Amino acid sequence: MSDPVISVRNLQVEFVTRRATLRAIDGVSFDIARGEVLGVVGESGAGKSVTGAAIIGLIEPPGRISGGEILLNGRRIDNLPPEEMRKIRGRKVAMIFQDPLTSLNPLFRVGEQLVETIRTHLPMNERQARDRAIDLLTEVGIPAPEKRIDGYPHEFSGGMRQRVVIALALCAEPDFIVADEPTTALDVSVQAQIISLIKKLGRERGMAVMLVTHDMGVIAETADRVAVMYAGRVAEIGPVRDVVQRPMHPYAKGLMGAIPTLEAATDRLVQIPGSMPRLSSIPRGCAFNPRCGEAFARCCVDQPAPLPVGGRHVACHLYETLEAVR
Amino acid sequence: MSHLAATPPPRLKLTLKDRVAIWRDSDLWLSFKASPVAILSTAVTLLIVIAAIFADVLAPQNAFDPVALNLLDGFAHPMERGMGSSMLFVMGSDEQGRDIFSALFYGTRLSLLVGVASVIFSMVLGIGLGLIAGYRGGKIEMLIMRVADIQLSFPAILIALLIFGVARGLIPPQQYETTAVFVIIIAIGLSNWAQHARTVRASTLVERNKEYVQAARLMGISGFGIMARHVLPNVMGPVLVIATINLALAIIEEATLSFLGVGLPITQPSLGTLIRSGQKYLLSGEWWILLFPAMILVILALAINLLGDWLRDALNPKLR
Amino acid sequence: MSPRPYVEVTDLKKVFDVSKPWLNRVIERSPKQILKAVDGVSFDIRKGETFALVGESGSGKSTVAKMVVGLLGVSGGEVTIDNISMTDPAQRAQRARLRRKMQMIFQDPYASLNPRWRVDRIIAEPIRAFNVVEGEANIVARVGELLTLVGLHPDDGRKFPHEFSGGQRQRVAIARALASNADFIVCDEPTSALDVSVQAQILNLMRDLQEKFGLTYLFISHNLAVVRHMATRIGVMYLGRLVEVSEAKQMFSHPRHPYTRMLLDAVPDLAMSGRARIPVAGEIPNPINPPSGCTFHPRCPLANERCRAENPLPINGVACHAVVEGRTLLMPVPA
Repeated sequence: MSDPVISVRNLQVEFVTRRATLRAIDGVSFDIARGEVLGVVGESGAGKSVTGAAIIGLIEPPGRISGGEILLNGRRIDNLPPEEMRKIRGRKVAMIFQDPLTSLNPLFRVGEQLVETIRTHLPMNERQARDRAIDLLTEVGIPAPEKRIDGYPHEFSGGMRQRVVIALALCAEPDFIVADEPTTALDVSVQAQIISLIKKLGRERGMAVMLVTHDMGVIAETADRVAVMYAGRVAEIGPVRDVVQRPMHPYAKGLMGAIPTLEAATDRLVQIPGSMPRLSSIPRGCAFNPRCGEAFARCCVDQPAPLPVGGRHVACHLYETLEAVR
Repeated sequence: MSHLAATPPPRLKLTLKDRVAIWRDSDLWLSFKASPVAILSTAVTLLIVIAAIFADVLAPQNAFDPVALNLLDGFAHPMERGMGSSMLFVMGSDEQGRDIFSALFYGTRLSLLVGVASVIFSMVLGIGLGLIAGYRGGKIEMLIMRVADIQLSFPAILIALLIFGVARGLIPPQQYETTAVFVIIIAIGLSNWAQHARTVRASTLVERNKEYVQAARLMGISGFGIMARHVLPNVMGPVLVIATINLALAIIEEATLSFLGVGLPITQPSLGTLIRSGQKYLLSGEWWILLFPAMILVILALAINLLGDWLRDALNPKLR
Repeated sequence: MSPRPYVEVTDLKKVFDVSKPWLNRVIERSPKQILKAVDGVSFDIRKGETFALVGESGSGKSTVAKMVVGLLGVSGGEVTIDNISMTDPAQRAQRARLRRKMQMIFQDPYASLNPRWRVDRIIAEPIRAFNVVEGEANIVARVGELLTLVGLHPDDGRKFPHEFSGGQRQRVAIARALASNADFIVCDEPTSALDVSVQAQILNLMRDLQEKFGLTYLFISHNLAVVRHMATRIGVMYLGRLVEVSEAKQMFSHPRHPYTRMLLDAVPDLAMSGRARIPVAGEIPNPINPPSGCTFHPRCPLANERCRAENPLPINGVACHAVVEGRTLLMPVPA
């Protein structure tokens, strides 16, 4: 495998509140290669969005990166001064947010926003930047871009607006894009179109994409690899087909079984008892142990480290013992 | 469904200890503990309130009982002993030998009484009308809100003056003194209800469409029941903030009215009345008669305002 | 004569006036604007079944739900529940009695519980409102029983809603819906605000309760997979109209209306079976200016002149000219 575009090593993020210091991200590590889509999936409170925000340097007080490192093309970016990080953001790394309505300024024409972003990062004059903006709108599938470029955001439908947001993220040809729940605010029929667009763009442009979502279906459709997060830690990470169809971590197993599908006509869904712990009360040892049917004594004491098992990494003591037996 | 015998009966009542524990863990208390401004302004306000409530016990002189005054004590400087009674006048005395320090206790008491009563009056009126406007909508809402708009386009003091004038016309002169406090409470209260009504209406419009209100409607609960039991408790947060800031405004408003001579009579002195009687002597060198009441007024209004500011921030979930 | 279905909805209509204020209209000389949120919807629900309404945003499914329970007045048509009309003003008294048998579970468990009330008071509210049981001790016992029923502890009644997670709040909402011994429950997107593992708990709970008490559900959702798991029969809505009503099994194995097929194909393929799918085209038009004829025609691969001109009426549960005329063979068939 070629050198990863983004490399996250043992990342820790903490939030300081009046009551206590809460650890939102605890020892997350992964790489994303050129042209690869890493899906990061988890339920609310799993820390998936915080991870994305940490990578592109958008953690604001009371939050802070308290450990680990983030490398972009081999260069450390987590400890850069804000001024330098701002230059990298937009130029090298970009972000697509959940709500296309709030990511665009309603008072400016779509073209003005694109041209401004392009000229901030690339040495182009007005004319060149406008041509590039039209190219980008074409690329993200907006019909009649020469005309639509002079429209205001409210004149676009939800799906078209999200396409504009994607074009905005592509302005400076970034190497890495974080897409945070890009389809959650959209209808099913539009969601499918946006998913395939993100997938296509990642491939064609050789970008590394981190796709953050709670929707396993979106991951299955788009991602090459998937990281399942739970309580700020990565429970399982590996090729999407393996993880989705044959999950190994008990949480990942439960999660897959809990999703109703069109294919399987089961009467009962698999049910994980309880709910995700709050940050203020993450259990000792493995964070999943109180909800886990296979937990044993060690799970309540030691936090499991990610173990290489069957082409993926699983953070679960079960597989440690298996390994030992073998 | 049969009763489950094994189920222990749920405890419904909270003990005092429970309540204290809940309060000590609340965001409000934690934010209070972390804010020196809030602690200081609460301390100052409490001090002044306690002094006002126990004026009869704490004040060295019963300042508004003519029998207690000695004309020979007149115009004593601060920290000077009176020539008649030889008592120590910490903040000096006025022309009648009245102890300014003692007068402050009584003046503050009346100022606070008028302030609190008028704020409660405007709250009740504003919340009621705001709830009706927000929940009912339609023509009633139009009417209430237009009246509020018109009222808000006049300075509050002008409205209070107007109401005061009308009341003067209606009340026979021999009853001016006995009714003065009520008139001023109503005048100030009526001049401030519109803000409450606006806030409550805006919050009610939000709450009305929430699903818990729809659930209550499905149970056939009446409009009044929903307003009183569901909507009202949920719109009280912003109202309390406004009420606190309005309390400071009402106290200043009362002082202004009294200063203008249309407020409380000299026999029932408020801080405003004291300032009014003090300003006569400012140019002749007896500065203390004006200075001390004015200072207390500023300190009290400032402390309450700061408290309101803190409350607004503490109740704002975005700033938590 | 066969017994009447439990819930009968006939030609239901709802229009909203979305015009600008009167003064703006006069100055800009713009006409009144009417939004037909629901336009001639008819279906029935049999006792003990789950009837699901699916559709994307703006399809009018939630508006139908609110009209069925009477939270929203109707602009036309009729709703009859247990032989009592929800729309006829003459049946007001009967309706009041019907009300306790009919409750609703809402989408947002954070907004559907009064944040200032303790949970026991929330659940006791319908018990008191409908006088289900008398006496404070009996009410307390009943609340505890209901909490146990939905998988919470009776002591949880002392807590405030904010002390619970989203899933637990939805359990409280379900307990409240059951408190008056309701047997018809309208569920408006009950799990769309929840995480999947919690959604599974709630869906399982709702099925268990249905079995236990013979509940009838009207289930509103945009998630076809959830609907597949819950529904006996399904109605698909598009721009205020019901385009297809089918038995659940048939809907997924043999979708008939082109929009239904498109919706099914848009659902992400979790099994990664590689089933061939028609790529979805276009977006939902603005409901204020819906397309002429069949409102789906601009996105429909089978549309012809008739579809552009004439609004299809439901025949055998499908409102589509192409299906009636047998033109569906022209549709690209999944391999």
